[in-house]
Amino acid sequence: MTPLQVFFQQLLNGLTIGSIYALIALGYTMVYGVIQLINFAHGEVFMVGAYAALTILLVLGIAQPLVGWLLVGVVLLCGIASMAGCGLLGLGIERFAYRPLRTAPRLSALITAIGVSFVLQNVVMLLYGATDRRFPPVIAPLRWEVAGATVTILQVIIWVSSAVLMLGVQALVMRTRLGRAMRAASHDLTACRLLGIPVDRVIAVTFCIGSALAAFGGMLFGVYYNTINFHDGYLTGLKAFTAAVLGGIGNIPGAMVGGLVLGVLEALGAGYLSAQWKNAFAFVVLVALLLWKPTGLLGERVAERA
Amino acid sequence: MGNAFCKPRTPRHITHYTLNIPQATCVGILGSLVLLVGCSREPKIPVIKVGFVAPLTGDQAPHGEDMLGGARLAVEQVQAGGELVPGYRVALVALDDQRNPTQAVSAAKKLVADPDVVAVVGHLNSSCTMPASAVYHQAGLLQITPVSSNPKISRQGFETFYRTCATDDLQGPAGALVAVRELGAARIFLIDDMTTYGRGLANEFEKKARELGANLLGHEGITQGDKDFTPLLTKIKALQPDLVYFAGMFPEGALLIKQRKDVGLGGHFMGGDGLFDPVLIELATAEAAEGIYLTTIGSDVHAMPTAQGFIRAYEARYGPLGAYSAYAYEATNIVLWAIQQAGKKDRQAVLAAMKTLKDYPGLFGRQNFDEKGDSLIRDVGLFTVKDGKFAFLKTASWD
Repeated sequence: MTPLQVFFQQLLNGLTIGSIYALIALGYTMVYGVIQLINFAHGEVFMVGAYAALTILLVLGIAQPLVGWLLVGVVLLCGIASMAGCGLLGLGIERFAYRPLRTAPRLSALITAIGVSFVLQNVVMLLYGATDRRFPPVIAPLRWEVAGATVTILQVIIWVSSAVLMLGVQALVMRTRLGRAMRAASHDLTACRLLGIPVDRVIAVTFCIGSALAAFGGMLFGVYYNTINFHDGYLTGLKAFTAAVLGGIGNIPGAMVGGLVLGVLEALGAGYLSAQWKNAFAFVVLVALLLWKPTGLLGERVAERA
Repeated sequence: MGNAFCKPRTPRHITHYTLNIPQATCVGILGSLVLLVGCSREPKIPVIKVGFVAPLTGDQAPHGEDMLGGARLAVEQVQAGGELVPGYRVALVALDDQRNPTQAVSAAKKLVADPDVVAVVGHLNSSCTMPASAVYHQAGLLQITPVSSNPKISRQGFETFYRTCATDDLQGPAGALVAVRELGAARIFLIDDMTTYGRGLANEFEKKARELGANLLGHEGITQGDKDFTPLLTKIKALQPDLVYFAGMFPEGALLIKQRKDVGLGGHFMGGDGLFDPVLIELATAEAAEGIYLTTIGSDVHAMPTAQGFIRAYEARYGPLGAYSAYAYEATNIVLWAIQQAGKKDRQAVLAAMKTLKDYPGLFGRQNFDEKGDSLIRDVGLFTVKDGKFAFLKTASWD
């Protein structure tokens, strides 16, 4: 392999995990944009999404890689079911954990978020056990050589499906009535209420969409790495949160760019510096970037609200 | 029963705590339940406890469960055979260290604080056994680790410490010999998981490989619990090694083996006994795991004529035999033997009895221990993966 080919392969490696970070980061950034809450339970929703997909695969009794339309059907079913399930979970979390605290100090909601995250982790641990759970091999390993780099079918699925979802979210926010309401809510909740926008419903839908995206990320994560554990939501959630901050929290394209940049930075750091400093490297870059541009890559300076 | 118990008390409850009638009834019923549970306990026979510690939750729990099965079987067999020490029953106390050194020390302290515990079987990970061994040593409590293979643990000079497996200063060189002499690997890349076990084993391998004239392309660490190793593997691919050696445990090992295929890294893959679990092949997929090599801290138990009875009993009770079950069974049996020799519930007497052990008829042959507490049975096994299963190749030599 020439150095250029190695670099290309590292980019592809980074884009794969980066796409998953980006999907999760969207949920952090959308919720923050609307109600300025860092939803620390979001990483756990991602983990629940992976377990939901696993449950479907187990219920269907899939033990062998599938082919053709059957594969497409099963993947779609898994994706839709885990997205729907986690969307409902997101609605529930918002309704019962955050809505009662809407007027409480921000710190209360933050602590509640941490509490919700513990609850979800422990529920999953009790239901599925504390050991790693193996994902059945749904997709047969298929690899191609592209310009000296190896690309797997799973990577392609991850890139394409997350790109479609991200473009979908962008279109939803920029082009629909609901999206306009979400953007309005992010500017000023009180003014929205005065104008007759059903603010509570807008916030609930935001949670629902964010959770569904995280669930899809969870399914991709499980299928790609073959295993899932009840505490996998913690570190991945933290990385996705970092990605959201990197891109400028509250900014939707920022979360996508942040996720991809973080994934690529990790891959380059591990590939060219040292694998054991992989996690540290990502966070060092974050700190350096925030010193230079405190609002993140695409974030805009916002006046501190009274 | 509940009413009979609470009736005379009800008025006092009401006056003192202003409980209403239903509340007071509840308190009464609860109280009588506690009393009932307390009374219905079997008549008290004094107990001698054997402690057991391994990761029973978390990613390495499959290994811990395998060990627990072996330890349980040994204790159950003794229980079925009548009293080991006259006037006492024997019980196993199993604790979970989550492969975490901090948890390992607190489990050790818990066992030390229980006066009924006279010996400990554990832990799994060298990084846990190392700090815990100091706790047991301070309390004069016999500890036999079935599988922690870092040689530094026994070099601390604790007379309380014993182990029933081969150590990494044998396993590492044995792996290096196979890699260089038999697989003809001239260019080698090393990965370890930065734990006491992983780093220690990788260093032993590296030393021997250098001695044999291999070209060491690099030595990198990974973090336990990490999932994405494609950047590291891509870097290794560019160096085109003949062999990649990984010193670590199966959860990370499986991902390395799988992702190695995904980035198109060729050549041989070899690991240590931490990979020796069928879950490895499941997680890595049989396709990617085919043809990897691994060394183990003992010979193939299935080939031991002395172990056939154990294997039958184990599989009838707990299903397929795990990689570490035999070692835990052996260690527990030796502990039970020492307790029987001591003939009383006394930590010092058990430790003294342990020192008299000679030619104990174990699963892998006659067990004897050197002055550091290490087993003199020092076979290192060499396995490969064939058709999605581990296959024994031979007993590997280390010099």
